[in-house]
Amino acid sequence: MSASAAIRLQVETALAKRVPAALTLKIKQAPELFSTGIAEVDAVLGGGIPRGSITEIAGAASTGKTSFALSSIAAITQSGAACAWVDVSDALSPESAAAAQVVMKRLLWLRMSSDRKKSVADKPWSRLEQALKATDLLLQAGGFAAIVLDMSDVRPQDATRIPLQHWYRFRLAAEHARTALVLLTQTPCAKSCSALALRSEPSSVQPFSRNGETALFEGQRYRLVRERDRNESSALALHLKKPSTRAEWNAETPWSRVR
Amino acid sequence: MYAVLHPPNFAAQVAAQQRPELRKRAFALVDGEPPAEVVVAANKAARSCGVEAGMSRLQGETFPGVIILRRVQEDELTAQAILHTIACMFSPRIEYVESYAGTYALDVRGMNGLFGDETQLANKLRQRIMTNGFLANVAVAENFDAAVCLARGRTGVSIVPPGQEADALRDLPLHVLNLSEEHAETFKAWGIRTCGQLAALAETDLISRLGQAGRRLHALARGISPHLMFPIEPRFEESLVERMELDFPVDLLEPLLFLLARMADALLERVKSKALAIGSVRVVLHLDGGKQHERTVRPALPLDDKPTLLKLLQLDLETHPPSAAILSLELYAQSAAPHRAQHGLFLPQAPEPGRLEVVLARLRKLLGEERVGSVELKDDHRPNAFRMVPFAPPPPKRTEQSSLSVITALRVCRPPQAVGVMLVGNTPSRVFWDGERYSVREVAGPWRVSGQWWSEANWCREEWDVRLGTQNAERVCRIAYDPRSRCWYVQGTYD
Repeated sequence: MSASAAIRLQVETALAKRVPAALTLKIKQAPELFSTGIAEVDAVLGGGIPRGSITEIAGAASTGKTSFALSSIAAITQSGAACAWVDVSDALSPESAAAAQVVMKRLLWLRMSSDRKKSVADKPWSRLEQALKATDLLLQAGGFAAIVLDMSDVRPQDATRIPLQHWYRFRLAAEHARTALVLLTQTPCAKSCSALALRSEPSSVQPFSRNGETALFEGQRYRLVRERDRNESSALALHLKKPSTRAEWNAETPWSRVR
Repeated sequence: MYAVLHPPNFAAQVAAQQRPELRKRAFALVDGEPPAEVVVAANKAARSCGVEAGMSRLQGETFPGVIILRRVQEDELTAQAILHTIACMFSPRIEYVESYAGTYALDVRGMNGLFGDETQLANKLRQRIMTNGFLANVAVAENFDAAVCLARGRTGVSIVPPGQEADALRDLPLHVLNLSEEHAETFKAWGIRTCGQLAALAETDLISRLGQAGRRLHALARGISPHLMFPIEPRFEESLVERMELDFPVDLLEPLLFLLARMADALLERVKSKALAIGSVRVVLHLDGGKQHERTVRPALPLDDKPTLLKLLQLDLETHPPSAAILSLELYAQSAAPHRAQHGLFLPQAPEPGRLEVVLARLRKLLGEERVGSVELKDDHRPNAFRMVPFAPPPPKRTEQSSLSVITALRVCRPPQAVGVMLVGNTPSRVFWDGERYSVREVAGPWRVSGQWWSEANWCREEWDVRLGTQNAERVCRIAYDPRSRCWYVQGTYD
């Protein structure tokens, strides 16, 4: 045994009670991934969104966050697992969810109650508190494969004021419960707690009217930019070629499927 | 040891008890659909006049001085309930002898300590029945059927020492054996009048002539007929009740939970003894001022653990607290077969049922009843045509992956937000929303939708899909115009 190996063994033995295997390189397991149901995005993310960690999708309105989340939830519920949608602004459209092929019986929808007399945007804090508490309860209970915390309509100045301790707790709880927690926000707020940070952007505009036909809204083209992926190293081990950080994808309206 | 109480001519006794003035008069009871009513019972005075069971009403009315009454089944049931209660006072194991109305058999083994020996017990039983206005014969014997026959054949109290049933039955007429008409005719032709004469016949000869019925009758006449007692047991569901009166009114729920814990524990013990679980619990709180507060907790799956049940009760009562101080409380449980599930190693993740139930109750308390659950779409084109249903995910099962394209989701504004719209040639050109001025860059529509035109709840609107833009942002929305209120509003944003 070489001198360095002996010293290493000596240090590890001394620290064994406090830090087991202190100087041994920990082999990181590739996380289990949930397919998002969008082939272009799955290719960029190396398979999908990671289980047991936080995925944050930030972007302005009409950039495809909800469509992306619904597509992911549809794929997960179709696999037989249960999911939850914590809806801060009570904005989920059940018709859209059904059209996205979400198995509705496996989706728990939590609608935050807003004060009817006031505008929805006026009193975000009580709803945010409710949403954070509800998410905490769901993560502690376990058993949900994915939970979407939809804060898309919460103003950035309110979302960034959520104490970081919430995100730390959610990260640990999600890891413990093996739940994929998906945050939909206008601006990133989970900071380093999110294992995967995505930015959604509008892509090229698809005109309503093509070739002089009657104008009809048929769909949008969105772009998703991978800002940070903590599991990228493990993904790299699987994919020899470094994947692109941008994915462009199309979303259609339900009536354009008929055409 | 069995004691059998038999009220002879039960229907007539009940009628006389209901109308005491009939006791000294001759009367007969008729039953059936008029005009085909027949006499079903008659008191001693009427029988001595010549009235017999089976006569028509008209025949009965021909006898002078005999009152003809209609039989009242409800009164008989009430009287039977009285006899049942009396029988329950003397033994926990009683059986109703269905062949004879009002007749009960009591298993009195081990009752000596409470009621004395068999004679004393029988006398006390008869005395108690007489106090309630009925006459009954009581017979005590080791053999069940012998006791029944003796109660039918002998008036008053009859006690038969073990092993002497045949001697006791010897002089009784054959009708105590509940013979069929055919057998009665046969025995009459043979000259057999008493049980003793029947018992004296050779069993094999009797079987060769009457078959298995002959064997049964021979055993009955000798007092050795086997009988397996099926005691009447109180209905299990009725026993799942716990009541508690409080010494002083209680305002807070917390002290109440200690009592609820104790009561729930007792109920669970009872349910578990039958290998069952609790399907639902109804809590009835009697409040100060005479009001009553009732809540029902119905978990998705039957529960058999106390902490979960107690937590559900607590959360439900906290969500719906009583309006006044509590004076007493009652807990009614309903049993159900416990949930059994075959889990698999390779099945997808699913919430654990008991835990999920508690979490859902917590969430309902936090958000409200109607804001937690799954969605069920209604067959309607009206916006927000859905209803919330309790979240109960089906067992994990993989469904076929669809190959349809990704959908553009609509984020709905609830309630719809009113906006200002500037029109150019009946087409929106500018939208004023939430303090912002948006120019309409593209527009598609209008899509006119309406429904319920046949009722007062009719609705109609014109929908437009618009691409709104400011200097630095762009969004695609669905705006709608309501011709009734002449108002524009945003239905939602495509995201």
